[in-house]
Amino acid sequence: MMRKPAVASGAGRRARRRRVRRGLAQGGAAVLLLAVLAPVLWLVLMSFRPSGATLAATLAFTPTLANYRALAGGGFPASFANSLMASTGSTVLSLLIGVPAAYALARHRFRARGRIAMWILVTRMAPPVAFTIPFFLVFSDLGLIDTVPGLIIVYLTFNLALVIWTMRGFFASIPASLEEAAWIDGAGVWSTFRRIALPLAAPGVAATGILCFIMSWNDFFFALILTRTNAMTAPVAIVNFMQYAGWEWGKIAAAGVLVLLPVLAFTFFVRSYLVSGGMAGGLKE
Amino acid sequence: MRGTIRRRQVLAAGTTAAGLLALPGKAPAAGGAKPLSGVTLNISCWSAPYPLLLAKYIPEFEAETGARVIYTTPSFPIYNQRMGLALATKSDAYDVVNVTFIFIGQWVGAGWVMPLDPFIADPARTPASWDAKDFFPGTTTAFRNAQGQLCAIPWIADVMMGGASRYDLIRKAGLGLPDTFAEMPKMLAAVNGKDGVPGFLTENHYGWTFPGYLQGFGGNIFRNPPHDLMPVLDTPAAVEAAGFFSDLLRKYAPRGALSYTYDEVVAALKSGKVNYATENEAFVTQMAQPGSTVTETCGFSLFPAGPAGRFPQVATHGWGIPAGSRNKDAAWQFITWAMSQKLLLRMFREHGWSSVTRRSIVELPEFRSKLTFNGFDVAKMYLDTVELAAKGYMAYRTVPPYPQVDRQIDIAIQGIVSGEKTAQQAMAAAQRNSIAQLRRAGVKL
Amino acid sequence: MAAGSTAWSIEQRRAFTVGLVPALVVLAVVTLGPAIYLVVTSLTPLTPIHPGSGLDFSTPFANYRQALFTGSFDHSVWLQCELSAITVGLQTLLGVAVALLLNSESGFMRAVRTGFLVPMVLPPIVVAIIWKILYTPDVSPVYAMLGAFGLRPGALITSPVWALPAIALADTWEWFPFTMLMVLAALQMMPNEPIEAARIDGASAWQMFWYVRLPFIRPALMVAVLFRLIDSIKAFPLIYVLTNGGPGQVTEVTNYYAFIQTFNFAYWGYGAAIATLMVAGVFALSLLLARLGAVAPDDA
Repeated sequence: MMRKPAVASGAGRRARRRRVRRGLAQGGAAVLLLAVLAPVLWLVLMSFRPSGATLAATLAFTPTLANYRALAGGGFPASFANSLMASTGSTVLSLLIGVPAAYALARHRFRARGRIAMWILVTRMAPPVAFTIPFFLVFSDLGLIDTVPGLIIVYLTFNLALVIWTMRGFFASIPASLEEAAWIDGAGVWSTFRRIALPLAAPGVAATGILCFIMSWNDFFFALILTRTNAMTAPVAIVNFMQYAGWEWGKIAAAGVLVLLPVLAFTFFVRSYLVSGGMAGGLKE
Repeated sequence: MRGTIRRRQVLAAGTTAAGLLALPGKAPAAGGAKPLSGVTLNISCWSAPYPLLLAKYIPEFEAETGARVIYTTPSFPIYNQRMGLALATKSDAYDVVNVTFIFIGQWVGAGWVMPLDPFIADPARTPASWDAKDFFPGTTTAFRNAQGQLCAIPWIADVMMGGASRYDLIRKAGLGLPDTFAEMPKMLAAVNGKDGVPGFLTENHYGWTFPGYLQGFGGNIFRNPPHDLMPVLDTPAAVEAAGFFSDLLRKYAPRGALSYTYDEVVAALKSGKVNYATENEAFVTQMAQPGSTVTETCGFSLFPAGPAGRFPQVATHGWGIPAGSRNKDAAWQFITWAMSQKLLLRMFREHGWSSVTRRSIVELPEFRSKLTFNGFDVAKMYLDTVELAAKGYMAYRTVPPYPQVDRQIDIAIQGIVSGEKTAQQAMAAAQRNSIAQLRRAGVKL
Repeated sequence: MAAGSTAWSIEQRRAFTVGLVPALVVLAVVTLGPAIYLVVTSLTPLTPIHPGSGLDFSTPFANYRQALFTGSFDHSVWLQCELSAITVGLQTLLGVAVALLLNSESGFMRAVRTGFLVPMVLPPIVVAIIWKILYTPDVSPVYAMLGAFGLRPGALITSPVWALPAIALADTWEWFPFTMLMVLAALQMMPNEPIEAARIDGASAWQMFWYVRLPFIRPALMVAVLFRLIDSIKAFPLIYVLTNGGPGQVTEVTNYYAFIQTFNFAYWGYGAAIATLMVAGVFALSLLLARLGAVAPDDA
């Protein structure tokens, strides 16, 4: 019951110091997090301020939904729907085309494997402006300007690469032994894929799909140039709205909050995957 | 497809023959189907006060004609970018478009908006009472192409004038609104910061707000537009003007003045957050309209004169029909409705829209009296300025490569106000770069 | 690899190829196609105002000469280097520092880690709006707080000296979590022995970091820096909303310069040349970084 003297108290002191240090670290981390998130919280606060109230002055005000209600009319809800359709469509298409390709790259040593990876990396290097002129001209001829299918196709430029890159990492991290056993038993490559590999990689597919959705949802540049009214997405609608609304910050803030909500929600679902640093896929190589 | 268009054209022509749609308010022909039912018109303009106001009346047009109107009003830079792209590819995405002043040279010159003379001359499409000659010649000349055909109907004579949101503070200092550049620093120094209100502001499109000062000091953009397009931005007069103008912004403008776009300036004026501005009439007169908090304390004046004279800038924007539109007759119906005397008069009476291009309206006594705010006769200032512009000093603005030079002026003034360059350096750079840009655009200097 | 007869290997390879080909075809169409078009267009003075200019190959390198020897392209590249250096540098420093702070197994720290995801996943346009609010004196809570202490600093985004750093600051806020997460993941994968050994040897915290942890996380750090560098070239919404390339041209970095030339002045051929130069430049930079010891992105 009595602690041993001398050695024990030394250890106790060290343990206490470590506890204090840990407490400080946690406190510091919490403060830092609050500081980093403060701008976002301020945006949310602003969206509930009644218009006309002095903007930066006080923290106390009576919250109101007026700004959000003002967004209901006009083209904002439609732009939301467009964002939803373009993002979902692009995600589904990219997964359909990209996941099998990623599996093939993971399981078979193609000679061109290195070159394909290099090609994917180079496409990531190109600024959006490099793609927009050719896409604009081709879409004009094909009548795809200002359409949601047009956006879905354009988003393939980054989503397909993302799917192939990350899913290859996922498949590579699954040991091939189960599949090899199935192959020895005479099963075909793709039936094995369907029955064994895909279910095992399902969490990865879900996470990658959500990443594609987020990247499509967040796109600004392509939508700015390639859409006008029918297919305008939410990010472009805010900018349009900003200059139209005579700088009514309450409404702008409300629009911003609405546009970021889906992304935050989805991020919540893939948080562990993102946090584990698997996003770039570079570590797994 | 072609058959449908012809049928629609006949239908449209037949209805306008009755002249019903040129005068909104009259009941459509009894028992007939609406003339434009099934037609969708895509109409776009930048977010100026007039197009925003017109949006309130469009449901009437739709109800009368049965047409469906998709009406978009993006901000100025986005509108011009989008429209430039759409017109360049001869797209059929739009039926009625705004022909922006600084792009007239490009858009009209390249034939991207079609000549409207055939429509005007055709009595089946345009009743005589619509009176195409009623528009100020100063505004229609800008929209004539090389063959002299009219390619847009002007909806605004955008004149520059002086406006103050807190004329009471100016009077308290014992001064009036400045009539010359020389009076400006004195007045601004006296009122700057009084009641927490900075003295001066203009929108950061300096390619538009600066030339009035430039010409007032005896300078110009080009040597002799439209023939001699050699820029003259680095003459001593130009440098002096740039220094003077930038000084006003540096000393008397609110923080972050360089980032104020036109709509932010309007918002600031209407809420009394800044005192004096030299800006478009359509912008400053909003101080006197409902929705402003300074209706009692606003004041107006002509654009100040410089040593070389008074050169208030006048722009005009107009409604045009793109060459690729598939609803040209319906589009023309919209234009005749929107620019009819009756509708413009209603817009003036119901909402105070005053930058009107029809002489018949501007000369009405009620126009005069309704545009008198706090004792200031804005109608007279408007008319006087429109007359001044007829002298032709605005010719620089419609040459096709002007947008590039416009940007150089933006850059120069920003550089001087922010202290990055002296007036001499900034204007010399603007001169160099403008020459390079013009040469690249194929202009022989 | 699967054992089996040669015939079966061939069949297997065919099956894999079938899975790969559709993706390659689509990738080729949406990336190679535009790339070829871009390079070809960069050799013409294409502008929609002059029909037929897209086929004018008389002076194929005029655009490149224009970019490299006249005009504002060089200025924009210099600005881009400045911006990238500041923002990637800050992101790295801040990312590593925060990663070290959060390097712990406790549930609390794991939750805090998740919170740091937010700036990174927000739509960039919303980030731009948030920072526009923070940087506009009339509406910013920061300026209001400073004003309460009697301080009235000028607006950063209209100052020729501070506009670019202001953009870098916003960009750092947005992206440091990326670096932080990658470094953190590497830190957590570190084996315990070197750390324990160093602790027994009495290493200070700084020595622990510099001699023990840093060498281990260096590969991950280089990958993070590489990706951030590539992405910093594409910065657009921040500049579009905050400064429009101004005041003057002090924030007209190369990507924004290309945008203005292409879409405000309709110089499509010239814009294509700028874009080509950009991709070439970034590619060369990446090769350089790879040689300096970054993890190669493939198994070459």
